[in-house]
Amino acid sequence: MRFGQSQRFDQARPFVALGVALAAWLVAPVALRTFARASFFEMTAPITAAASYASDLQRFWALRLHSKEQLIEAGRDLARLDASYSLSIQQNSELQAEVERLQALLHMPPADHYRFEHARVAQRDFSGWWQRMVIRKGKDYRIPVGAPVVYGGGVVGRVAEVHAYTSVVELTSNPGLRIAAVVDGDTRPISYQGAENPVFGAARGVVEFLPLDVYASATAPKRLATSGLGGVFPPGLTIGRIVHVESSADGLFKTGEVALDPRLAELTEVTVLVAENPG
Amino acid sequence: MRGALALFLTLYLLRALVAEANSALSGAHIWLFAGGLYVAYSALMLPFREGFAASLLGGLLCDSVAPLAFGTQTAVFAAAHVAVYGVRERLQRDETPVRLAVALIANLAFFLALSFARLRLVPAPATAWPRMLSDLLWSEAAVAAAGPWFFALQARTLELARAHGAHPA
Repeated sequence: MRFGQSQRFDQARPFVALGVALAAWLVAPVALRTFARASFFEMTAPITAAASYASDLQRFWALRLHSKEQLIEAGRDLARLDASYSLSIQQNSELQAEVERLQALLHMPPADHYRFEHARVAQRDFSGWWQRMVIRKGKDYRIPVGAPVVYGGGVVGRVAEVHAYTSVVELTSNPGLRIAAVVDGDTRPISYQGAENPVFGAARGVVEFLPLDVYASATAPKRLATSGLGGVFPPGLTIGRIVHVESSADGLFKTGEVALDPRLAELTEVTVLVAENPG
Repeated sequence: MRGALALFLTLYLLRALVAEANSALSGAHIWLFAGGLYVAYSALMLPFREGFAASLLGGLLCDSVAPLAFGTQTAVFAAAHVAVYGVRERLQRDETPVRLAVALIANLAFFLALSFARLRLVPAPATAWPRMLSDLLWSEAAVAAAGPWFFALQARTLELARAHGAHPA
């Protein structure tokens, strides 16, 4: 009898241990969980950063194999780009001065100013469940949670987590990410949400609350840009192109499909916009 | 607990390799999930306490880098560990194909459980399934390919840890 009871307890012991572990975790303080998460993440960070530095070194040695002729051609192209950008900077300075003069005349609050923090992409994590990337700058460069992240083609996403020397960026294609947006040439705000990362083709998003007079198709797409509402993203940054619209179920608005830039999946460097006058 | 820590080292290496593979394959729209490998060997071969601790640590490692409620994967791994431990005496657990089959089944179960947990965030869930099925197929293929090597690595790491523990320098 006693042997039977002991055997039954031995069989049940793993389930008891599981129950105890789950109960302990459920009643564990939030601070303990936060500390555990941060500790385990920091444990993985050295490998992520080391692999990224090794990849950079590999690229450096690959570039060293380029011939002098190729370097001269690249230098010439860069000089031309440099000249056109210098001109743009001069025009931009004049426009900025004009904006500041008008703001002063109209007693408008100053626009947000951003510090540009360029960061290398250390790791990409693009699944059907989420789309995130780890960048090689964190608390050491005073990167704040929620900061917008951009690249040459527009919005990349926003900073979701900041760690000691890395940060996690949530991409615009991530299903959980929402941005207040506008259609190019229109001021009415609409809602953008990341949707899917399909097997073939670039990631996609969806827009909701589109006014009924907005039309777009794959042959005549409309540029979707940030509205500046919500206080995270500055206005005018490209999110993607609206390639399909249809009436929503209630008939009051339209919903649409947004094609995102395929380069999002292959970025190696991004820029974090750190607000200089937050709030 | 020496065995649990030795196994945790191999799980740490596995996570790093899978993360690098996923980073490299991101442009090809392929993503690998190897959750089954975190549990199979520890549940089949180790005493309960050591194996359970290794599975919990592996789950915490995965949770720390995933945008899920912290502890989700740990709980799923722990439940799977208990389930596999409960049936292991009925399996030819010394055979690599059996270990591999357990890893593949566990991987499938984890993947489906996490997919259903994440699907509520997707605006049009029906459109997300093709990608998830594609990821699942690639993941199962990756687990099948890397499983025998990883089990051998875990067995060798355990041997080294125990030999070192038996004859301290």
